[in-house]
Amino acid sequence: MSLDDLKLTRRRFLKVTGATLGALSLSHELLDFKHWVRANAEAPVTRIPTFCNGCGNRCGIFAYVKNGRLWKIEGNPEANGNLGVICPKGHGYLHDLYNPSRLRGPLKRTGDRFEPISWEQAYKEIAQKINLILMDSGPQSIFWVNYPQSNNPYALRLMHSLGSPHYFTHGSTCYTARNAGWVTTVGDLPSNDLSNSQYIVIIGRNPAGGIDLAEVKKIVEAKEKGAKLVVVDPRHSETAILADEWLPIKPGTDLAFLLGMINIMIKEELYDRQFVKEKAVGFEQLDDEIVNYPPEWAERVCEIPAKTIVRITREMARVKPRALLHRGYHAAFGSQYLNSFQTARALAIVNSLLGNINREGGIYFPKSAQLGELQPKHPAPELPKIGKSDGTGVPGRYPLGSYGDGIAHAIPELALRGELKAGFVYHNNPLRTNPNPKRVIAGYKKLDLLVVVDTVLSETASIAHYVLPESFYLERDEAVDTKHSGKRAQVSIQQKVVNPMFDTRPGTQIIIELGKHLGVEKYFNFDIDEGNRLRLKPFGITLEELKQKGVLFVGEKWKEGFNKLETPSGKVEIHSSTLEKLGFPPIPRWEDPLVSPDSKNPSSFRLLHGKQAIHTHSMTANQPYLMAISRRYDLIRLWMNKERGRRLGLKDGDWVQVKSIVGEGRIRVKLTEGLHPSCVWLPSGYGIFSKHLKTAFDVGLSYNDFLPTLFDPTVGHAMSSEIIVQVRKTSELRS
Amino acid sequence: MARYGMVIDETKCVGCHACRVACQNQNHLLEKEAYNHLEEREYGTFPNYAREFLPVQCQHCDNPPCVKVCPTGASYKRKDGVVLVDKDKCIGCKYCIAACPYNVRIIKKEGYIEKCRFCIEFVEQGGKPACMTTCMTGVRMFGDLDDPNSEISKFIIKNKLKQFKAELNTKPRIYYKKA
Repeated sequence: MSLDDLKLTRRRFLKVTGATLGALSLSHELLDFKHWVRANAEAPVTRIPTFCNGCGNRCGIFAYVKNGRLWKIEGNPEANGNLGVICPKGHGYLHDLYNPSRLRGPLKRTGDRFEPISWEQAYKEIAQKINLILMDSGPQSIFWVNYPQSNNPYALRLMHSLGSPHYFTHGSTCYTARNAGWVTTVGDLPSNDLSNSQYIVIIGRNPAGGIDLAEVKKIVEAKEKGAKLVVVDPRHSETAILADEWLPIKPGTDLAFLLGMINIMIKEELYDRQFVKEKAVGFEQLDDEIVNYPPEWAERVCEIPAKTIVRITREMARVKPRALLHRGYHAAFGSQYLNSFQTARALAIVNSLLGNINREGGIYFPKSAQLGELQPKHPAPELPKIGKSDGTGVPGRYPLGSYGDGIAHAIPELALRGELKAGFVYHNNPLRTNPNPKRVIAGYKKLDLLVVVDTVLSETASIAHYVLPESFYLERDEAVDTKHSGKRAQVSIQQKVVNPMFDTRPGTQIIIELGKHLGVEKYFNFDIDEGNRLRLKPFGITLEELKQKGVLFVGEKWKEGFNKLETPSGKVEIHSSTLEKLGFPPIPRWEDPLVSPDSKNPSSFRLLHGKQAIHTHSMTANQPYLMAISRRYDLIRLWMNKERGRRLGLKDGDWVQVKSIVGEGRIRVKLTEGLHPSCVWLPSGYGIFSKHLKTAFDVGLSYNDFLPTLFDPTVGHAMSSEIIVQVRKTSELRS
Repeated sequence: MARYGMVIDETKCVGCHACRVACQNQNHLLEKEAYNHLEEREYGTFPNYAREFLPVQCQHCDNPPCVKVCPTGASYKRKDGVVLVDKDKCIGCKYCIAACPYNVRIIKKEGYIEKCRFCIEFVEQGGKPACMTTCMTGVRMFGDLDDPNSEISKFIIKNKLKQFKAELNTKPRIYYKKA
């Protein structure tokens, strides 16, 4: 059903009002939409501030409800994260409120089928099973994994209440290498002051495709003020469309590009000498090491001409500190390669040499709201006595892995080893979004208890023992959020716009109710509103004020400069003694990718992936408005360099077979000049295999189908571009 | 009175399709019904390569071929420059679709023809077209072309903007900024 069906159409308006107006014979100019406009204007329209759930950015929106139905959303101009604009996913995903695939009540698995169950009975049965598992296997055998949501602190509280350290995010498949590189070097993950920058270099990150609305707005603003934008990416990304220069780097060699830049900065003394002297440690060791990496060497490795590397380095140095290399996200060094951690380190070092750390127009530490505590009114559980069994933070295992995020794609391995027995999956779909689905399915199926909280029967929900249906984001009040950091911090809130259509509940309420049933009620004697009031207390703003505005600024404004960083030395660690002690290179050093395509084999490619502006992970492919764009514009294709395609006898649109050591699939190709010849590029967001998601089922492929289960030895990230595939011409017919 | 027009800066379009879905929501369209579309163009060979997206919608021509061919007067031009379709007069003959050189008219499920309306009823209430306000790069400008001091008029003059397929003498009210 579309929104159209229930709105007051002009046609229906005429039917209703025609008799009283007695005006059907009037000329169309008079009759036309003026009356319709008036009727529509008179129809009750309410505008409620909340935030979007179409991806992890949680943009501030106003939701419009007309004639009792959700009508549309607009961007909240106050919100740091989106500054008044909205992406296609935001506009499209709201229609999932009325998607027939939605869950209508709690489900329990009986054999191969699901049967309806009441909330009370579901909670009771889950509690019984958890209690048995707690007795048999201990609290550390229980885990929770989620994609970022404002209520994550409550989920962590639940795990800690039970005594389990096993709270996971999706980070190991997304950003943990980037974070570790930055944290090791400057003590924290910074942001980019794009709008005030005069020279922006973006490596791999594609904010115009893997959308970050505020970033794109700020890039456009900077460019209008004369800034230069250089995009380094094997693919001509959507951000490259806005760029002054596109540098199609050989995939997996971004580290060489950066080492070449550092070499020139030191050789030509282009770096900020005062900043390095006062605010950094280890420059001498860098000086010794970097002689190995002249730009001519970098050119041989990364295929970007030495003279281009030299020119860009000089151009950046000329406008420093208002020059920056984007801090990055997923691609290139978020979690892609064996060398991603050192790439992130090198990127942080180039920025530091530009003297741009916490400077206007450079890299800065954004202000983030520090919410109040629930305690002492509601006691906090003790920290678990046992550490995470994924090895994050443990020397000899994944010492630089993020303990807070955990290594979520290790969950199937830990389940197969019997270390994890019961799991809660919330707002996440590891069966589709983790590498090597066969292994993931085997792992999650091994669990004695799997509880999934979702709005639809995703791949993961499809194999759960219990499915607890969450209200759609427009149907629920949620925990206060701190996502919108920036030059001044913001708190924001997600609130109910329309009444729940089905027997569903808000995520926070589900967590609280689980706490109450799992015997840890003393930590959960509050409701969503009380929790929010306590958490807002330090800011002197009321929940009512926040609900009225959706987003509020809190705390001090950002200031330039810094005294002490959160690193062991308090300074930028060009040389890291932490890394030295752990036996890792303390100064970035060239490291080959784990695997490389066979240059003699015309069928051998590295498989890259990335986002299209219209899809988020695996959660939007089933949205008909968004899938209609995929189909209309033929976007469900594998990108391949035209010349490589020609050598394989391929024409644009031909079907190919793609095969790796773990998976095989068929897809059509898009032949383009906008891609490095050594790789193929697959848009993420497709390859849905849950039969319950009818719009998306069996459309396209996911890169995860081809990716083995890998763990980087430093951070433990998934190394998700370390895949070699064989691509051959084939017919559409499936074997 | 204001006579509306638009500027589309195609150098800024990254092809995200937010304008399509924002428009669909504003106008209660079904998932396959769209009042705007993108034409992608590629230039050069690797590694010297560029691509661009051209956003296209009803050009609200001052010399509209759709109005001329319409046998019932359903397609009409308003004094404020906006071209509209009166669905009660439309018989769905598709002459206008054939006559329009911009390929921007659609057949609604109910059988009549529709297309971009410049969100005119929303504009009359003080709003701006949904395709414009949602855009992260600010591709579109909207305003009064009759007012020489309006932001949009000044922008058109300063950048010497041209219309799309101006040689057809359709006199569009949308001006394009090209690379």
